[in-house]
Amino acid sequence: MTEKVHLRAPVRIYDGRWVDVELVITNSSLVIGKRNILLREIEDLEDVNIEGVNCIQIKKEGKIVLQLPKNLHHQVFKFIAFNLKADKFAVFFLSSATIGGVVSSDARWEKGYFSVTDEGFWILSAKNQKRIPIENLGSVKTDLRDVGGKQRKVLVLSHVENSNVVTSLVLCPESTLEMLEGYLQRLFEKHKPAINLSENEMQILTLVYSGLDFASIENIVGVSTDELNNYYDRLVDSGLAKVVKIRKEIELTPRGVSMVDKLSKR
Amino acid sequence: MAKVLIVDDTAFMRKLLKNILFGAGFDIAGEAENGKQAVEMYRTLKPDVVTMDIVMPEMTGIEALKQIKTTVDKDAKVVMCTAIGQENIVKTAIKLGARGYIIKPFQAPKVIEEIKKVVGE
Repeated sequence: MTEKVHLRAPVRIYDGRWVDVELVITNSSLVIGKRNILLREIEDLEDVNIEGVNCIQIKKEGKIVLQLPKNLHHQVFKFIAFNLKADKFAVFFLSSATIGGVVSSDARWEKGYFSVTDEGFWILSAKNQKRIPIENLGSVKTDLRDVGGKQRKVLVLSHVENSNVVTSLVLCPESTLEMLEGYLQRLFEKHKPAINLSENEMQILTLVYSGLDFASIENIVGVSTDELNNYYDRLVDSGLAKVVKIRKEIELTPRGVSMVDKLSKR
Repeated sequence: MAKVLIVDDTAFMRKLLKNILFGAGFDIAGEAENGKQAVEMYRTLKPDVVTMDIVMPEMTGIEALKQIKTTVDKDAKVVMCTAIGQENIVKTAIKLGARGYIIKPFQAPKVIEEIKKVVGE
């Protein structure tokens, strides 16, 4: 049987430098220059930014970075997302049901697929192709929700998306739902940081998530600057937080003090 | 700026909301630890908006919402504040006239956006 060619386009691949090649997409494979990659062997797919350029990164025994013409980027991303190596289940989903704790009023239930790869999962529909790596998954559980006026058991996933905690709801036959919940729970437990947090540390984590600054957190939790620094160190060391800015503490030199003295006499 | 009444049984959550809303320029009219206090404080303080926790001792947020709406101010602007997994209760709250809801954990900009939306209605 001959392969149907869906697309033929000039692209650039990045391997320390940009190289011009041709991309051919058929029913079952991507041909990038001389390399033939079967779609069912692609392990993962991601939008990445290389040197300020929006690219598609394909994972298959290493990583291949492709820069496509702008008008084809989304189309190709979508095609690969729907066809990569994954267990795919027909579902209805609502994503994002909440963003940063606030209900997303413009989200609607969509018909599509829940696709599970070794490194995470995808929520796929004609207009929405969302990749959720397992390290971004916060919790998995089933719950009853009102769907079309009926109480239905759904999978509730909380995950991080653009630094926001987002919840997504998945609806499918109950046997599939239970299987997906079990699978994702196991995957989640495997990746969960092994750390027991104290009450203060949990509060600090919540406050950092809420976007509060150092001084506000000190004030709310009722700890000193040194104590809070120690808590921060523990959260950073355990992989639950990362340092984005180091604060400077200063005191005035005699010249500075003299300047303040002058200013106060103005 | 709008006056907010914060209702939550945990001091930590009240402090957090107070910090976020005060920082955004809202006046904090008061803080209540349960639904019963919330109804009484609403009557005396007449806030522009209330952030109302749902699960609280003595009187739940749902019951407090109902009482505020039926006995104090039918136009009261109440934003329910709930933990993940209590979204079904929120449906009841919306039927009772809650104007919005936020789910814990929340992020400051989203909370501010939601409260501003409700106040500006």
